[in-house]
Amino acid sequence: MFGFAAWEVVARLRLLPGSSLPAFSSVLEVFFVSVQQPAFLFRIAHSFVNLLCGLVLAFSIALPTAFIAGSKNPFDVTMTPLVMIFGALPDLSFLPLLVLWFGAGDTACVIMASVAAFFPIYFTVREGTKSIPRELYDVTTVFKSNRLSTFTKMVLPAISPHLFSGLRLAYDFDWEIIIAIEIATRVAGIGNFIEGKVSSGSLAQGFAAIFAIALLAVAVDKTFFGTLESWSKKWS
Amino acid sequence: MKKHLELDSVTKYYSEQQKQLHALHEISFDIDHGEFVTIVGPSGCGKSTLLKIIAGLDSPTSGEVRVRGNPVHGPHSKISMVFQSFGLFPWRTVLENVEYGLEMRNVPKDERRGVARRHLEMVGLGGYEHMYPKQLSGGMKQRVGIARALAIDPEIVLMDEAFSAIDEVTAEVLREEVASIHKDTGKTFVLVTHNLPEAIELADKVVVLSSRPAKVKRIFPVDLNRPRDRAHEVFIHMHRDILHLLKEELENSLLRHKLKDVKELHDLHDMEEHGKS
Repeated sequence: MFGFAAWEVVARLRLLPGSSLPAFSSVLEVFFVSVQQPAFLFRIAHSFVNLLCGLVLAFSIALPTAFIAGSKNPFDVTMTPLVMIFGALPDLSFLPLLVLWFGAGDTACVIMASVAAFFPIYFTVREGTKSIPRELYDVTTVFKSNRLSTFTKMVLPAISPHLFSGLRLAYDFDWEIIIAIEIATRVAGIGNFIEGKVSSGSLAQGFAAIFAIALLAVAVDKTFFGTLESWSKKWS
Repeated sequence: MKKHLELDSVTKYYSEQQKQLHALHEISFDIDHGEFVTIVGPSGCGKSTLLKIIAGLDSPTSGEVRVRGNPVHGPHSKISMVFQSFGLFPWRTVLENVEYGLEMRNVPKDERRGVARRHLEMVGLGGYEHMYPKQLSGGMKQRVGIARALAIDPEIVLMDEAFSAIDEVTAEVLREEVASIHKDTGKTFVLVTHNLPEAIELADKVVVLSSRPAKVKRIFPVDLNRPRDRAHEVFIHMHRDILHLLKEELENSLLRHKLKDVKELHDLHDMEEHGKS
């Protein structure tokens, strides 16, 4: 609250050079107008769908790989160092290559987002798998669980707290990646919108878009991931 | 009385890279229907390995385990187990944990709920159904473990150091309850333990194993009326005799380890931990 008031004062008194900071009140005004415009909402949805596709793609590759790495040591010692080398590289350094191969579009966006999401999911799931006590596997064997139900009814719930925090990290991280790609390659999402508005001098609209992303990101974080975590906190 | 469980020359070698470790050597003994057998031995001798082989969690290098005369390969639907660290699923409620074995046998939900409730009542945990394991004490967790093991209506219940992770007073109460469950159900029980008084108190016979490679050192039938009195003369004598045997074994093994490479013992322990064979 105090921050927003200070912002208003700074903007009104023109304490910053030129017209580089619109007043908070006018940003709010533009925000409420914008969120009623289909074109604006579509921009946000576009970015959000790309992000989700990247997450799902990363999840479906990272979960089985990390589970095998966590439970089979020979696989772990070959796979994990490789993953670490790739993980140590700044993910966005691959972007020019992806654009070259797939063009500056949604495909490059989704692949980039999934590369960035892979590492947090991989390492948390691998850690979770390693921390399953051997005794729990013995329990599944003694009570004659088949392979599928051992995975769905023992392994998945056992690693779920790790998996949830990995997904959450990946999600937060992917917002940055998506916006960065859109700004860099002009893919038509909300990042590209912000860039366009700011460079044409419509700062209030740029800020309104940033607000909208922040609200969406926090809303998903609190509702979806919040619910998952409160489930796992009940028992862990 | 017909034999329920037969161990016939059960031998187990663990091998990793070039090293071979001899864990069990030609272990043979029989267990009758409804008998309560306890297995004791020096620590690290492989008694838990033996129990795992009976449970089908591990396989013998040679020899075999037979139930009602039929060789056992892998987990058997009539054999159930109680685990040392309880082996409960923390994300399942008490009731759901007890239901687990029935769920794996595709018993319909309503039916297994009913069976699980009955078994929870039996171990004195009626009213705790909807709690999670983390909300329970060690003794209560093991009651859940026992209820889960019995819920599938096994013929043979294996217990791996089932009372060792519980405080002594609670363990004593739980032992009495297990004794009365044994008496009421007539099921066959096999308990591995390092607690001698516990072994004598519960058993119809105590199997004493030698140090590694474990062999059957001696079998003590316990002809004492139940409930057992730990101050009874026969009890005390038997305790002294078994303790003497075990001390002898321990000294033997210490002597052997002085001559051998002590690292080997650690390796065996590691391999057992990771279950490699």
